[in-house]
Amino acid sequence: MPLAEMERLFQDGLLGSSREILSHVNGNAREDAGAMFGVYRNAYWARLVESLAVDLPGLKALAGDAAFDHLARAYVARHPSTTRSIRWAGRLLPQFLAREAPYRDDPWLTDMARFDWALAHAFDAADAPVIGVAQLAAIPPELWGGVTLVLHPTLDCFAVSTPVDVVRPLLLADPRAAFDRDRRRDGGLMVWRIGDDLKFRAIDPLEQDALAAARAGASFGEICETIAARVEAEAAAMRAAGFLRGWLEWGIVQDIGHDAPGSA
Amino acid sequence: MRDVTQLGFGLGLRPQHYPAILDGDRTTAARVDWFEIISENYMVAGGRPLANLMAVRARYPMVMHGVSLSIGSTDPLDRAYLDDLKALAARVEPAIVSDHLCWTGVAGLNMHDLLPLPLTEEALGHVCGRIGQVQDHLGREIAIENASTYVTFAESTIPEWEFMAEMARRSGCRLLLDVNNVYVSAFNHGFAAETYIESIPPELVAYVHLAGHEDNRTYIIDTHDHPVVDGVWDLYAHAVRRFGPVATMIERDDKIPLFAELAEELARARRIAEAAAGPDQEVA
Ligand SMILES: [Fe+2]
Repeated sequence: MPLAEMERLFQDGLLGSSREILSHVNGNAREDAGAMFGVYRNAYWARLVESLAVDLPGLKALAGDAAFDHLARAYVARHPSTTRSIRWAGRLLPQFLAREAPYRDDPWLTDMARFDWALAHAFDAADAPVIGVAQLAAIPPELWGGVTLVLHPTLDCFAVSTPVDVVRPLLLADPRAAFDRDRRRDGGLMVWRIGDDLKFRAIDPLEQDALAAARAGASFGEICETIAARVEAEAAAMRAAGFLRGWLEWGIVQDIGHDAPGSA
Repeated sequence: MRDVTQLGFGLGLRPQHYPAILDGDRTTAARVDWFEIISENYMVAGGRPLANLMAVRARYPMVMHGVSLSIGSTDPLDRAYLDDLKALAARVEPAIVSDHLCWTGVAGLNMHDLLPLPLTEEALGHVCGRIGQVQDHLGREIAIENASTYVTFAESTIPEWEFMAEMARRSGCRLLLDVNNVYVSAFNHGFAAETYIESIPPELVAYVHLAGHEDNRTYIIDTHDHPVVDGVWDLYAHAVRRFGPVATMIERDDKIPLFAELAEELARARRIAEAAAGPDQEVA
């Protein structure tokens, strides 16, 4: 049998879609081929579940060991890994939980997975400098409308519907810690790194939209328009300026771009 | 730079040990000559892992050991992976870059395991061709390690030790001989571990791995979560009598003990190698 076909059969055996490989492999004097192939098959599932547990400790603490094992296996079955490092094997887990029954009915699961993932990303995302408020102050106010931001490469920001940032530390300290499962809080979370320190901060829905727009490359003027539909036009510029100052203070802005004075 | 065979006695670099290596007791740190890193763990954009890596590198020689090369896969080689591996090697300047005789997946999937190959002429030709491509891409020779295996293929026609030796001769790669893996596979498949060692030409061996395993009585699994067992130490003594003083390291990936404890285990490798070299000889 050609090597390519044999590898395909072996892999199908690991994934559980075929047992044909068993007629091509040998066990030993003590165990048959099925038992010895089972070493690979068990290792495949166990290794991925364990890796997900390491990458998503908040989700594991929230779900509990048995339920985590179950959901991780369901995820691996649906999304076999295509990444070269096992470290990234869980990258589709938050969206899997958001879409699949029964997980989609519990927003805590998706929010926690998303939060875990953002922290894992920030941990070893690229190093980069940050600029402070002084750099913004150096830009004449009449040019602010055209200002665009280069956000820090460690930054992630996403919408949540639960106060998962408050609950995660409690659950990591004690997986049986009590919390109010019915509690909801609309808005976003931003996660980033300064030096070696991971940071996170809850933001309200307006700031969440503004930051999402900034990440998508919107100029300050466009950010103002984004939120203007939800606040008075006057207030929109004020709020957006406040957000911008905050982002600079927290260290999530790597660089700032604007049209040079005098240019059209 | 010294040839990899001359590096002496090393350990796998694990994040738990950064403080002991960088800020701990210097006498303990001095008992380790070099570190092996898992390449994929440092193929990241930035942050603490890379900073710690380079801090350790400033003090110790290193070897890069990967798990994702998938040299035996019939999928195309992953060029982006090779680019990243080359970039990491430019940073780390390792004594050698190694991976395993295995495949990790086909059809674009990654099983994240070191899967066995049927040991046939077809597989040998396939693997040698790909080693050539990898060595050309990286601009350096690589070492390929024998993996622990749990099944053999009915269609295999070449004993693993012959496959390994012939692979190295044909492709120009070197061998990373994992003595524990020889022991594990010998038990699992019922061949004599000594035959394996005696069939490997000494000049092809770049360095040696030692590790602990999990004995399930009817089969052994290569778990790297226990100390090296006596049977593997005996086989190691046999290996160093044949290969001479060759660079050796201990792999520990789970239930990781204190750095000093691993350094103590490594001292045993040094003693065995010294004894094998004879009473008056010093081992690198
Ligand atoms: Fe090894």
